[in-house]
Amino acid sequence: MKILRWLLTRLAGGLFVLWAVATLVFIGIRLVPGDPVEAIVGGPGSQAGPEAFALARAEYGLDEPLIVQYGLMLANLVRGDLGTSYSLKVPVAEAVSEQLPGTLALALLAWGLAWLLALSVALFTALATGPRLSRVADAAGSGLEIFAAAVPHFWLGSVLVLVFATSLGWLPPVATDSPAGLVLPVATLALPLAGFLGQVMRESLATALASPFALAARARGESETGVVLRHGLRHAALPGISLSGWALGSLISGAVVVEALFARGGLGRTLLSAVTLRDIPLVTGVVLVSALTYVVVMAAADVVERLVDPRLGTTTATRAAQPDLAAGGGRP
Amino acid sequence: MQNSRWRAAAPAAVVLASALALSSCSGGTTDTVPEEPVSGGTLVYASGDAEPTCLDPHVGGNYPQALVASQFLETLYTKDQDGQIVPWLASGADVSDDGTTVTLHLREGISFSDGTAFDAAAVKANIEHVLDPETGSSTGYLAMQKVESMEVIDPATLELGLSAPDAALFESFTQTWNAMMSPAGLERSQEENCAAPIGTGPFVVEDWARQESVSLTRNDDYTVPNPEATADPSHTGPAYLEGIEWRFIPESATRYSALQSGTVDMIDNAQPDSIASAEQSDAIEHLDAPRPGASNRIELNSSKAPFDDARVREAFVRSVDVDAAVDSLFFGTAERSYSPLSSVEPMGYSDESLFGYDPDEAARLLDEAGWTERDAAGYRVKDGERLSVHLPISTNQSVPAEQSLFEQLQATAKESGIEVTTELLDLGSWYGALGEHEYDLVSAPYTKVGPDVLRILFHSDSTEPAPSGYFANHAMVRDEGIDAALEDASSADDEAERASLYADVQAEVLEGYYLLPLYDQQNHFLHSTSLRGIGETTAVATPTFHNAWLAD
Repeated sequence: MKILRWLLTRLAGGLFVLWAVATLVFIGIRLVPGDPVEAIVGGPGSQAGPEAFALARAEYGLDEPLIVQYGLMLANLVRGDLGTSYSLKVPVAEAVSEQLPGTLALALLAWGLAWLLALSVALFTALATGPRLSRVADAAGSGLEIFAAAVPHFWLGSVLVLVFATSLGWLPPVATDSPAGLVLPVATLALPLAGFLGQVMRESLATALASPFALAARARGESETGVVLRHGLRHAALPGISLSGWALGSLISGAVVVEALFARGGLGRTLLSAVTLRDIPLVTGVVLVSALTYVVVMAAADVVERLVDPRLGTTTATRAAQPDLAAGGGRP
Repeated sequence: MQNSRWRAAAPAAVVLASALALSSCSGGTTDTVPEEPVSGGTLVYASGDAEPTCLDPHVGGNYPQALVASQFLETLYTKDQDGQIVPWLASGADVSDDGTTVTLHLREGISFSDGTAFDAAAVKANIEHVLDPETGSSTGYLAMQKVESMEVIDPATLELGLSAPDAALFESFTQTWNAMMSPAGLERSQEENCAAPIGTGPFVVEDWARQESVSLTRNDDYTVPNPEATADPSHTGPAYLEGIEWRFIPESATRYSALQSGTVDMIDNAQPDSIASAEQSDAIEHLDAPRPGASNRIELNSSKAPFDDARVREAFVRSVDVDAAVDSLFFGTAERSYSPLSSVEPMGYSDESLFGYDPDEAARLLDEAGWTERDAAGYRVKDGERLSVHLPISTNQSVPAEQSLFEQLQATAKESGIEVTTELLDLGSWYGALGEHEYDLVSAPYTKVGPDVLRILFHSDSTEPAPSGYFANHAMVRDEGIDAALEDASSADDEAERASLYADVQAEVLEGYYLLPLYDQQNHFLHSTSLRGIGETTAVATPTFHNAWLAD
């Protein structure tokens, strides 16, 4: 029952997000200058004749009142029809599904690398022993993270190309068929996210290691490494997991820049071109697919969070009484 | 289209330089014997333009489409090595005395790559396709507007009935936006034809992975229609290259890096910094192919204050130091222009004397025009109003060096008390601002083969907006004398008369300070030295690769 209700709430919330996104795109793209019909007849500044304009308007329903266009769009979306791209003249579903795998692969790899980097730095600084070494490691880790989190993708990507492609010649500057072509785009996308994740992880790891349950574990004679790995990590991972939705958003917006910079096919580049041309169906399609991915990731993060932190599934009373979630999780 | 419109001195120097480089690089042979071209290999080309949304250049019709379509489509006419308009797929034409009937003669024995014959019916189908509103043609449609009727006389003869004489018709036939496609291909849906147009060219569209690349393969049945117009008349068969991988790399630094690392063999839209850096390299060569049509210029909107006063227009032109800015920002890659037309246009007219940087003259003119007071910021004031002009800049049309150029002009105009406000806009918003007349100054490129571009830019008809709101006469020139001269030039049957009319029009608009010419429309390519036989371009200055080959 509980699961069913959770599912229904999620579903309703997801549908609301999709509707809101479609509506915002519909309104937003009409607020910027430029007539969408131009995307059909050659792009902004087209000098096509009046008949061509009239025909294009009629064919794509752009001669209808806005409210009718909006209604038609929603009706089509409900039927799962994303329409036909004005500029590409192909079904939006086809254009999006062609580009989705490339962006997903890029985002997933970047996401994985970001976690790996963030965890490594957090663990490294936590395990650095001795007062001086730990202070230095902490400062270095924190500095790196703040820097990584603060650099814009465009700048980072350009610097990586300059160093690893132009100067050293180790990696191709643009995406190629070989895995080497993925390294720079993935790193560009992953580093800022790793910086951010690293900061929150390291902070919660430090909090966890200073709490009574960690002290208790140490008192039971566990090694510091054991304390960190068995007890601290769960705490450290939690904020990272709940930030997954946010992370996905950052990866998608980063993909727009990274795909253009490294000349990789994908949804980011599709979106950029669609927005430039005011291709409403294509913009709507790309944004809806991104929103849907977001909704799914948020739901998945929710599930994972409950698995990592069993307290979330139980009442608040027991949660307060169970400070050591690692122990509560039942270790051998 | 194995032709070139290279006539200027600078490109000639490049030819010479590449010839020297080529001969000195030839391993095993003596320095004076040119190398024998090698067949095979795939050229990787990286375009910096946005990926076309449709590979059929009839649809819409922009430069990125022409760049790639020039590899697989051909035109009825072309420009030969001397820049003369000569027949290509056509073999010639007769024009009636009144100029309204044009009889096109076509070459026989040519086929499209799907096996369909190239004949009069095919040409008719193509012109109909361009004029059909369903196609949504912009550039091609403008060029074919005077075609009123078509009659197939026999497979090799097509008679065109024009609504009025059109001296620019054959120039229009050289443009890739009016190229010939298989009628069988045109009968497919627009979606299919956009994905893989079928032409007569040396390459064929094999596959288009959107957002990544267009794969072109050699057309093994290809024959050069008019070898005399090409750089190597003895090479009449299929191309040397097995294929071309046509990639899109929008970021200029990445594009140049890809060339340096050997990931790609040739790039377009090379920026001044890359060109300057390539000059230092032995492994990279430069091809400068200015686009035909208009020069890159700043137009002054004469329809509203303050530029409705010719003295203020001249004052602005005199107040900005263009030469210094071009020198410092373009590293010698762009030559200053003093003409409304590109330097490749034989009928271009220049007057350098009108455009010298002269702040004293600007001050005198502004005093005379009544802009005598100054405000606290140092700008000139008249009737309580600051002398302020607005310049919307398209980030798509103006490369970073040009954007910086505008900033420098802004700074020098300020010294004369003229405030220039700039605004960076994306393409749609920029056209929107122009359509709404929200500009006093604007730089808008216009590519077209031949001087007829002057009619588009300066005839009063072009102040009337198209259905999109676009109008080409941004300077808002409305002059009966200019209109009459442009119309006479359009119907002139004598080239000398045409040239003299166009020279008059150019002198008028230059002396009226309706525009400030900057330089040719920049069109620079860089390629690796192992890519040989480069240099030929179509009439619209897009490179062709029939004679190109890859050395080991």
